[in-house]
Amino acid sequence: MMLLAKAALGLGGTLVLAGAYTFREGVIRVDVDEFRTGGSHIHMWVPAAMVPMAMHFVPKHHFREAAGQAREFLPAAHALFKGMKKLPDTDFVEIKDGDQHARIRTHDGKLQIDVEDPDGNVHLQVPLSTLDDVVDQIEESAPPA
Amino acid sequence: MSHVNRALIPKSLLSTGFALLLLPAGALAQTAAKASQPASSATSEKGERWLHVRVICTQGKRETVRVNMPLELAEKVLPAVNHDRLHNGKVRIDSSDVNDVDLRAVMDAIRTAKEGEYVTVQGDDNDVRVAKEGNHLIIHVVDKNGPKKSHVEVKMPMKVVEALLSAGKDELDLVAALHVLEAQGDTELVSVKDSENTVKVWLDSNSVAE
Repeated sequence: MMLLAKAALGLGGTLVLAGAYTFREGVIRVDVDEFRTGGSHIHMWVPAAMVPMAMHFVPKHHFREAAGQAREFLPAAHALFKGMKKLPDTDFVEIKDGDQHARIRTHDGKLQIDVEDPDGNVHLQVPLSTLDDVVDQIEESAPPA
Repeated sequence: MSHVNRALIPKSLLSTGFALLLLPAGALAQTAAKASQPASSATSEKGERWLHVRVICTQGKRETVRVNMPLELAEKVLPAVNHDRLHNGKVRIDSSDVNDVDLRAVMDAIRTAKEGEYVTVQGDDNDVRVAKEGNHLIIHVVDKNGPKKSHVEVKMPMKVVEALLSAGKDELDLVAALHVLEAQGDTELVSVKDSENTVKVWLDSNSVAE
């Protein structure tokens, strides 16, 4: 019985730490709703902490390819996400055109992209720190210039 | 097994369950509190300067575009963009872009000239006025007979113009211009009005456009 209790404590402790780490990093949220018949409805909540971890399992040659193509924009993306993290919540771009509405903003440390259209809605929320980590990892994989 | 041990197991499991419930919630609360700290006001801290662009199209579906960009962020991002004519925060201009007018020489002449009105054209079709007033370059164009009857006003601090031209020949130093712009007071830089569109570019300390 004592052994069981210890095991439960160990498992519980690990779960607590994993839970705390996962939620500290925030959540990536993707919501896609297509209004046409048979259109897709995707609602996804992914712990942001999983992304950099998952990226370690992606074969390096895929990253090298991506990094090679995005090379000239990576430093700008890096500077942008770093700068955005220091700013208050901001509506960077807002476009309204009749029934269509698009907005790019930062909110609670997340980059939020919302597109509302009569054909469908797309809402995306990604923690800025995750975006920064992803750019970091792609940059590291870039082949030498 | 003793009674003490039997009592310990449910207690341990209970406390573990409690911790499981509370810790992530605590972490979430901390993250939310931390993230919401700078979000309180529209007026930015540290006197941060914001460049705003607003385009309103009154025709058709009434399209509206709003862009709010902190100058400090633009100043950091621009040097990192190396694409096409933009390198290290400087944009290369070809003489063909400005119809072989030596833009640099013209701006240099305006910079060193005394304040006053340099160009005044009043015609049936257009009114054009270029002047230097209160250390600002003023460009004022009214299209009277065009289909849209446009009205353009540009008011650029001379220091910004100087900073723009501080790079080498055939180059405009955007980062230097942004840096100087940061020190300027609230000002409307560009205003374009015609029968279909209103465009306004201005500078202030608010992170939210009016």
